[in-house]
Amino acid sequence: MGSIVLPQALFVVPRNPTKCIPQKLSVSACVFRTPSQLNVSLFSTSGLCCSKWESRSFVVRAEAESQEEPEVAETEVPEETEVEAEAEGAVAVATEERPAFKPRVKLGDIMGILNKQAIEASDTVRPTPDIRTGDIVEIKLEVPENRKRLSIYKGIVISKQNAGIHTTIRIRRIIAGVGVEIVFPVYSPNIKELKVVKHRKVRRARLYYLRDKLPRLSTFK
Amino acid sequence: MATSSSSRLVRAVGRSLFSGLCNNADGLMRSAHEMMCNHLFLQQQRTFIQMRTSLKVVDNSGAKRVACIQALKGKKGARLGDTIVCSVKEAQPGGKVKKGEVHYGVVVRAAMPRGRCDGSEIKFDDNAVVLINKHGDPIGTRVFGPVPHELRKKKHSKILSLAEHLA
Repeated sequence: MGSIVLPQALFVVPRNPTKCIPQKLSVSACVFRTPSQLNVSLFSTSGLCCSKWESRSFVVRAEAESQEEPEVAETEVPEETEVEAEAEGAVAVATEERPAFKPRVKLGDIMGILNKQAIEASDTVRPTPDIRTGDIVEIKLEVPENRKRLSIYKGIVISKQNAGIHTTIRIRRIIAGVGVEIVFPVYSPNIKELKVVKHRKVRRARLYYLRDKLPRLSTFK
Repeated sequence: MATSSSSRLVRAVGRSLFSGLCNNADGLMRSAHEMMCNHLFLQQQRTFIQMRTSLKVVDNSGAKRVACIQALKGKKGARLGDTIVCSVKEAQPGGKVKKGEVHYGVVVRAAMPRGRCDGSEIKFDDNAVVLINKHGDPIGTRVFGPVPHELRKKKHSKILSLAEHLA
């Protein structure tokens, strides 16, 4: 059965007109008695006071069911066929065809969905390997100023910050005697190649202790 | 908590602190407040190069250490790639510059992270400067250590060409 507002409301109204006639809905209540005029009523009321319909119709329906169950069965059938014929055309709610019903995207999920789409889009261009802290990676980066050659950055991943499309990794390396840390956005289109060369066993998620240790531990040929 | 905070590890709250805090707080089961205070002080806040900042000199002009007198651009201080006015605090005996002289300098390495236009950031382990004259030409003839790309935009191509490694 189409378990939505309108068929329920339609069941309810003819049986208990007194209970669910507030001042506003008086017109539609009258109209409902004649199923042929369903279209008009649907359009007029659904937009205005759907929520009210829902709350009231649920309440009343419970009462109606408890009191007059045999009547439900009788009057259900003729009304339903006409209801559905027009409900499908009138309002975009669940009908008999289940696959056509798409759940509404909740506000809180939007960023997650957008991020996932962006990551998938960047994955088609260049697949990104799984990177964890402690990996020794080599990155080939295209620098806008120096388009002829790709700059190569090698180093150990000391931290990874997950933020959807702006997921970044921090690479540390001793270059020419000086420690350098560079933060790279993993899904950046400037990164032409990103591969894991080795892995070092670490027991932490952030290896900031390497800054205080001997340079030898952050040197990679 | 009090003892560790007053030890040599007392530092200011870091900009990357929030991420550090959030990540840390998940794994904390016991005495969360104490651990958070510790972590607060372990993250170092790297800021600008301002007056009295001591910097290393990485060319062969003769100076060893230099103190910033004035950051020429920026209200808060100089960053990677900016020019500063500096006074030589320590110099090699037979160099081109002597102790006490005032020169311009270009910051080539800074401990404060500098963001790039593609979303990446770079930071070095120390603060270093290359002495230049008023027109922007380096006083020395060699530059040691890595040098960032930011100098290209600031039109310090001479220093870039002398550098032994481009970060």
